[in-house]
Amino acid sequence: MEGPDTVENTYTIRPNYQHKFKAGVVKECIREVLREELSGKQYNPEEVTTMSRSLADSIKERIKEVGFDRYKLVVQVVIGEQRGEGVKMAARCFWDADTDSYAQDIFMNDSLFCVAAAFGCFYY
Amino acid sequence: MHMEKELKMEDTWKTRDLEKHLRGGVYDEDNIRKKDRRRRDEDGRKGRSGESVERRHRDRDSEAYRERDKYRERDSTRERTKHRDSDKDRDHDRRREGTRERTMDSGERDRERRRERERAGDSSRDWDIDRGSRDRRHERAEKENREREREREKRRAERDQERGTDRDRRREEGREGERERDRERAREREKDRDREKERDYERRRDKDRHREREQGHSSKHLKETDRYNDGLREEYLESKREKERRERHSDREYYRQKEDKEYREHRRREKEERERRHREREEHHPGESRRHDGKPQDSEREHRHREHKESEHHLSGEVESRERRSHSKPRERRHREEGDLENGPAEVTSANILRLGRDREGRETKEKKVENEEDETEKPAAEDHRDEEGADDYEEDFEDYEEDFEELDESDGAGDDKEDGAEEEKKEEELSPQKRREIEEIRRAMDAENERVGSGERWRGVEEVEVSKRDHVHRAHSGVSPSKSIQHGKFIDFVAAKQREVSKKASSKQKKRSAELLRLIDLDFSVSFSLLDLPPVNEYDMYIKNFGTTNTKQAYVQCNEDNTDRETQTEEIEESDKWTQHPGDSNVVCGGPKLTNEASVESMTKMSFDSQRLAAFLHSASQVVAVLLEEDRAEKHSLRQLKSQVDSLSFSDGCLELNTKLPFLHGREVSLISFSQVQRQTMLSVHSPTTKPSAVRLDSQTILCIWNIWEPSCPQKVLVYESEVLCCCFSPGKATLVFAGTAVGSVVVWDLREHSSLHYTLKIGDHDWTLRYPTFSTDAVLAASSHFSSVRSVEPVPANVTEGLRPEFSLLPAHEGVSGLSFQLASLDESGVLNLWVVVELPKANQAGSQTDLGLKPGGKVKLLHSSSITTNERLSKREAVKTVPLRALLLKFLPSDSNHFFIGTDMGVVTHGTRHGLNIPPKFYRPQLAGLRPVHVTSVDISPFGEPVFLVGCADGSVRMHSLRKEQPLMEWTGSTNGEPVVSVQWALTRPAMFCVLDATSNIHIWDLLEKDYEPMTTEKIRSDRVTAMAVFGDPAKQNMFSGISLAVQSGKIEMQYFNKKWAVPTPAELENLQNMLHEAF
Repeated sequence: MEGPDTVENTYTIRPNYQHKFKAGVVKECIREVLREELSGKQYNPEEVTTMSRSLADSIKERIKEVGFDRYKLVVQVVIGEQRGEGVKMAARCFWDADTDSYAQDIFMNDSLFCVAAAFGCFYY
Repeated sequence: MHMEKELKMEDTWKTRDLEKHLRGGVYDEDNIRKKDRRRRDEDGRKGRSGESVERRHRDRDSEAYRERDKYRERDSTRERTKHRDSDKDRDHDRRREGTRERTMDSGERDRERRRERERAGDSSRDWDIDRGSRDRRHERAEKENREREREREKRRAERDQERGTDRDRRREEGREGERERDRERAREREKDRDREKERDYERRRDKDRHREREQGHSSKHLKETDRYNDGLREEYLESKREKERRERHSDREYYRQKEDKEYREHRRREKEERERRHREREEHHPGESRRHDGKPQDSEREHRHREHKESEHHLSGEVESRERRSHSKPRERRHREEGDLENGPAEVTSANILRLGRDREGRETKEKKVENEEDETEKPAAEDHRDEEGADDYEEDFEDYEEDFEELDESDGAGDDKEDGAEEEKKEEELSPQKRREIEEIRRAMDAENERVGSGERWRGVEEVEVSKRDHVHRAHSGVSPSKSIQHGKFIDFVAAKQREVSKKASSKQKKRSAELLRLIDLDFSVSFSLLDLPPVNEYDMYIKNFGTTNTKQAYVQCNEDNTDRETQTEEIEESDKWTQHPGDSNVVCGGPKLTNEASVESMTKMSFDSQRLAAFLHSASQVVAVLLEEDRAEKHSLRQLKSQVDSLSFSDGCLELNTKLPFLHGREVSLISFSQVQRQTMLSVHSPTTKPSAVRLDSQTILCIWNIWEPSCPQKVLVYESEVLCCCFSPGKATLVFAGTAVGSVVVWDLREHSSLHYTLKIGDHDWTLRYPTFSTDAVLAASSHFSSVRSVEPVPANVTEGLRPEFSLLPAHEGVSGLSFQLASLDESGVLNLWVVVELPKANQAGSQTDLGLKPGGKVKLLHSSSITTNERLSKREAVKTVPLRALLLKFLPSDSNHFFIGTDMGVVTHGTRHGLNIPPKFYRPQLAGLRPVHVTSVDISPFGEPVFLVGCADGSVRMHSLRKEQPLMEWTGSTNGEPVVSVQWALTRPAMFCVLDATSNIHIWDLLEKDYEPMTTEKIRSDRVTAMAVFGDPAKQNMFSGISLAVQSGKIEMQYFNKKWAVPTPAELENLQNMLHEAF
């Protein structure tokens, strides 16, 4: 903007490889969290709202620990009751497929299913 | 985040804070009048520790607010208006009261401190700031107090006089002691702090805002930028809150009238109070001014600003005053509403009581607000200036000025109110529409101004106005908080501008950045990720899931559709391997490997060995026995016969008749009788086909019977052939094969060893007769090499040159090995073609029949291979020109001593001599003695069986010749011995070398003995019973008890065996030498 700044900026448009969003690692994180939090839980409509929120938070924290630099993390957690109905969930993203990715995992037991999806968007 | 939170907190704080401020403000005023009541409350508090904490808090809060208000009041009065000093006095009192209360409520305070400490962890920094500001404030307050106390001492008398009823009441308080008042004041100072703490306590979330408030007091505005927003929100929330409140209390509106009475009372009291305060202020004026001097820079600047702005805003001053008046109206209404609360029957709590009191005082506040506002605005302003010297700017000045104006205006208004509160109220209500219009005007004006300033500034400008307006309202209600909000407003706007600038920069930077980045980055829609695909569970699974595993048990129901019967083999099937053979070639026809495999093999071999031996034994023994039985029977029979026939046949020693009375032989003429040369007892008779129909359907077929002469009762074998058989013979050696030449030119072979099962068995009467068909036939099979005319004679070619004069005669097959099946067979047809066949025995029979040997019967093992063919019909010598016709061959005889030589009887009375290899050995022909040829058939040729080189020839003209092999002419010729009757057969006797038999056509048998008579037969016997068709000589020279005889077949088919008697059977001694001599003599 100023005179000296007219030099072309060098943007980091690709993440460092070590810090790239690795779906496998994230999936493991999600899996761990879901297992820790949900194993043996029964579906309780009053609890699940807070539970899903806390799950999302803890998943996000867990993923942050892994250390994806410059990544904006979005974690979505859906908990539903298992009553035999068919459920279909899908996600669609408008993003840079080179850098951004997502990981998802499903936890299921007799009374509930939980789908957690973590989307990582790179901050350029 | 932080900013937002702050905003939020500010908001929340505002909503509740406002109420508190209101209460505080109200209570402040109320305090004066309700001192006795409060005291009562305090007493109650002291007495009953269980009283509501809330109320106490509120009390203290309100006191604190009031206290603070007082400070501000004082400041402002000090700085500007000198006529409000009277208030200070009251402040003093109140403060004193506060301290007293504080000491009394030390327990409570402690509790609060504890709470405070709890919070301290979070807001330690805030706390520090707090403390700093508080300390400063305290210092100030203490200074003031000290001053005031001094002044108070001086002015007490005056005040007492001036104050009316109110003052009296105060006096009563005063009676309690100044010390108490001091204490109260100190307590109030403490409360000031407590109030803040309490606010914290009540609204934990508002920590930050609280700190800010503190900062606002101490002029440490770090977050000024937000103030602007706060103000905005404040305004909005305020209006909202009002609305809500109005709604909430709509049902209580009708209580208002009741309240109005009280209200009027309040008003009166307020008026009085106001008067008093004004007086006080005036009294305080000198102190204030002095204080003002103590801080010259601030006050001077303020003054300067104020003066500067005053000129500018003089015009709008009036508007503002009016505006403010309009604002007071909602305030009033609020008070009224709150007052209504008091009347709500259910809500009569201590809080309500307090509120009631506050509501009453609300009236007063309205009038008092002028002073409050002045105080509030002045004090923070001063503080701000003190702390933030560089922060003063246009906005601030503007605010300050406005407030100054307000103060003036409202003080005027207050003055009016003093005169007539009710009137003022009415006036305000009347003015409301007008005011609204004015507000609109102001807004418009502000908008215009803001537009000038710029987009960022505009907002602020508008907001400022709004905020300021609101702030006034707030101030009117709460006394304290509005001042803060105003301060916020001042600084928010400024910093916000900067902030906006910064953010604008940042955003543009961001924009640029994003623009540049977007060139580098491709954003795209990802494919839809399927996060979860949970198929619906079908009903049954659901059922099982829910009920299948719990305490239920699934029962099975059968509805008959699957009710099917099934059978299962539960016992194992026993199985074993067996073999069987049909036809069995040994006595073992079946067996199985399971039945003791090895043992069975052993036993089998043993058995077979035994059985073979047994069979062999039985075979031979049975023959012997059979022969013996036959002999025994024949002996008896022949004895009788002999007696009867002695008469008939002189030479006969006995007669045996073969049993030809068989159904299939009935009516057949025996055309030929032949004996085996080795097995002398074996005879072959050929029964020619009969024209008469018989029971057996073999009429057109020739039947050959094999007889054992010792078993005359029945033939050994019965052979059958389709056409007429003209000649036949046994195989040399053992009589196992029978050869026959037929009228159709074929040569056929019967293998007598073949098992009867291979042949057709015909049951005739009680007996089974096996009819054997030829094993091999040359019929049309060997067409090229076969005969094209009737076969006249078949003769086996003797294998070796000399077989010995007397070959062994044995009943048993002793010569089997010698017999050798590989020999040659010669067959001669009428045209003189002599065919030589090799008889081959196949090593193994083929039950299915042979592909190449079509003449071989299936299962047959003997076949004929054509070896060579010789044409024998040579012409006679040229001398005999007559003999142009080729000779018809009728008979064939091989020389037993040399198989290369053969003799053929012809139809011209001559016998041709030929050799197999074409050697021309003289004499070629053997002719009769008489010259010239006569067409006479040679009917019989017989070579001497004793090895003499002579042979007999019988001719159809009745002559019999005896030829030597070396001479063409015969040795002897007898022409009239048969009286001209054709000779049928001439045969040498087998036991006597010089004896031969001649049979003529008239059934006369002539027996010759050359040593006795060489001119006529020794005897001639005529068989009268029947015509004799065939004759054969039999006998075995090898046997000691020589038996010899002739077999005669008669036309009726009977076969008689005539045994020669001793005279004819046993040769005389040296008979052969005599014969040789005689023959030698004949040559």
